[in-house]
Amino acid sequence: MSPNPTVTDAPLPPHASPLPATSSPAWESLHPNASTAMRLFGASSLGGVYLVPAAMLLIAWDSLGWSGGVRVAAWAIGALLVLLAGWVAGGVRWSRTGFALDAAALRIRRGIFWRSETLVPRSRVQHTDLNRGPLDRRLGLATLKVYTAGTKLASVSLDGLPAERAAELRDALVAADDDAV
Amino acid sequence: MTTPSELVAAPSEALAQVALGAGRERRLHPWSWLFVLLEQLRQFALPLIALLFFGGRGSGQAWEWFGLVGVALLTGLAVVRYFTYRFRIEHGELVIRSGILHRNVRHIPLARIQNIALKRNVLHRLFGVAEVKLESAVGGISAEAQMRVLSLRDAHALEVLARSEHRGGAAAEPGDDVEPERGELLLQLPTLELIKLGMTSNRGLLVGAAGFGVFSQFDGAGFGRQLASWATSSLGYARDLHLGWDDWLLGGTLALVALVATLRALSVLLILLQFHGFQLHQLDRRLSVESGLLTRLRSHAPLRKIQHWTLHDGLLHRWFRRRSLRVETAVLQTASNSHSLTQPVPIAPPATIDALLGRWLPWLRWDELDWQPLHPRAWRRLSFWPALLTLIVTAGAAVRVGLPALALLVLLPLWLWRARLVAARAHWAVTDKALFWRSGWLDRKLSFAEIAKLQGLRLLQSPFDRRHGMASLVADTAGASPMGHRLELHYLPEAAARALYERLGAQLAHSTLRW
Repeated sequence: MSPNPTVTDAPLPPHASPLPATSSPAWESLHPNASTAMRLFGASSLGGVYLVPAAMLLIAWDSLGWSGGVRVAAWAIGALLVLLAGWVAGGVRWSRTGFALDAAALRIRRGIFWRSETLVPRSRVQHTDLNRGPLDRRLGLATLKVYTAGTKLASVSLDGLPAERAAELRDALVAADDDAV
Repeated sequence: MTTPSELVAAPSEALAQVALGAGRERRLHPWSWLFVLLEQLRQFALPLIALLFFGGRGSGQAWEWFGLVGVALLTGLAVVRYFTYRFRIEHGELVIRSGILHRNVRHIPLARIQNIALKRNVLHRLFGVAEVKLESAVGGISAEAQMRVLSLRDAHALEVLARSEHRGGAAAEPGDDVEPERGELLLQLPTLELIKLGMTSNRGLLVGAAGFGVFSQFDGAGFGRQLASWATSSLGYARDLHLGWDDWLLGGTLALVALVATLRALSVLLILLQFHGFQLHQLDRRLSVESGLLTRLRSHAPLRKIQHWTLHDGLLHRWFRRRSLRVETAVLQTASNSHSLTQPVPIAPPATIDALLGRWLPWLRWDELDWQPLHPRAWRRLSFWPALLTLIVTAGAAVRVGLPALALLVLLPLWLWRARLVAARAHWAVTDKALFWRSGWLDRKLSFAEIAKLQGLRLLQSPFDRRHGMASLVADTAGASPMGHRLELHYLPEAAARALYERLGAQLAHSTLRW
C-alpha cells in the first residue's frame, strides 16, 4: 500500500528534462460540411444583430438628411458587409478548429483571436453524448460531448464532426479505460 | 438467510442479465408519462391552484381553458418522451437514446456509475415502479441519467448490473451516514484564535452589505431620505466647524476606520457563533470537523476525497503569524447528506499547518519545490488595465474640474509598483505528484492539487498573450468552487506553459482516477 491510497500512479516516464519528447499530435479538421454550417451560423448571428436594429436606426434617425433611397442602399450595403463578415468568420472558425485523439487524451483546439487548446485525458472521461439535430443529419454532422468529473471542463463539446468519426471517437474514448473506478 | 423480501430487493445477477442483459433495449415503464406529468405539475402547482381558486372570477372561463391546454401539452410531451427514450446495456455500458429532432445517444460505462438512487413514494409503490437516478462523478452534482420511471424489476436489474461492475470495490467504504467515532483530536480553536480568525475574515462586510440591502428594501424612499438627511446634517455640522482640508482628510479617514472596525467586529461576532468549540478530528484517513455555538455542524471528508488545497496568507494573517487552510472535496450529493468539509484549519500558526499537511500528505516537501517565475514582462500585463482605467478617469475628471484632476496620475507609478510586486511574487511549481500555484502580494494564496486528481487541462492565449509570447494554463479539478483560488496559471512564458501542458498531459495519462 502506498502511503497515500488515493493516488495509484503507474511508473511515470522520466521527467529529467522539463520538455518530454512528445511528437506533435495528429490534428484532424472538422467535416467540410461543418464549414458551411459555421458560415451560416456566423452570418445569421451577426446578421441578426445588425439587420433589424440598423433598419430601425436609419428610419428613426434623419439628421443626415438622407433620402429614403439612400437609406435603403446604405442599409443594404451594411447588411452585405455584415453577412460577408459573418460568413468569413465562420470559415475561419472552421479552419481554426481541430481535434486530435492519441493514446493519452482527446485534444481540441479552437478560437480565432482568443485561442485555446483543451486536453481531456481518456482516463478522465466519465461519459459521452452524441447529439444530432435536424441540420446535422442533413449535412452528415454530429456533436460529441465529453463529460469529466471536473468543474470548468465538466463537459467539453465538439460540433461539426463527421458522424462516423464522432461515433469512432466516442467508442475509443469510452472503451479505452476499463479499470478506472 | 434469504427471506422472500430480500429476494425481491436483490435479484441475482443472472436474473438481471435476463431482464436487461445482452443489449436488449428497454423503454421506461408504460406509466412513466404519468409520473413525468405529475413532476411537471408539481413545479406548476402553485399557479394551478391559484388558477382553480381565482380563475372563475373576473376574466371569465378563458384561464381554465389555458390551464387545460397546458396540461394536455405537458402530457403530450411526456408521452413523446416515453416513446423516444430507450436504454440498453451493452459491453458494460448503459446506452440511452432519446429525442426526435435532436437525437441524443448517451454512453455511460457501468463502472463509472457511483451511486444508484431509487426513489419510491406511495404512488410509485402502487404502480410497482421506481424513479431511478444514476450518479457518476460528473461535475460532482448532476444526476447523469434520471429515469422516471422504471418497473421495479428493471430498476433492480440495473442496480445489480452496475454493482457487479464495481467488483465490490466501493462496498469497503464506510457509509457517510453512519455516525463515526471521532478519532484523534488534531486541532481546537480557543476563543482568542477565533477572534483572530474573525479579524482576518471578510464575513462582516458581506453580511453588512446584505443587511444594508435588506434594510433598504423595507421602506425604499423613507430609508433613502433618512440616509440623505443624516448625511446632510452631519455634513452641515462639519461645515459649521469651519474645518480645513487637513481636518476633512482626518475626519474622513477616521470615519473609514470606524466603518472598517465595525464590519470587522461584526465578522468576529459571526465567526464566534459559527466556529465556537471548533474541533478537528482524524480517524484513520478520515477528517471530521465540528463547530458552532447555536447549531453545531459536523462535516466529514476522507482525505482521498480532497481534490484541491489552498493556503491563505493575508496581510492580517501575517500580522497575527497565522495561516488558514481550505480544501475542496468531491462528494456525491445524494450519497451523503453531510455538509462538505471546506475549512479543516480555519486558522493556525504556519508550523501547525505544515505539520498537519506533512501528516496528511507525506509526499509534500516544501523545500524541494522548484518554483518557476512568470514571464519577465508579466508586470506590464498586470499594470495595463489599472493604468488605462486611471488615465480614462483622469481625462474625464480633467474635463470637469480642470488641472487638479491630474493629481490622480500619482496612481500610475503606484500601479506599476504593485504590478511589479505581484508579478514577482507569483510562481508555479510542478513535481511528479502535484501542481502548485501561488499568487498575490498583500493577500497571498497558494493552491495545489495532486496531478492524479486533475480532470482536464486547457492552454489559453489571448491576442495580448501572443504579442508578448505568453500563455495561460488552467488545470481543472472536481468540486471546484468558483470563488476559490483556482489553478489558473496566467502570464507564463509560452514555451514553459506548453511544456507544462504536455508534461501534465502525459502524467495524467499514466495515472488512474480513483474516487
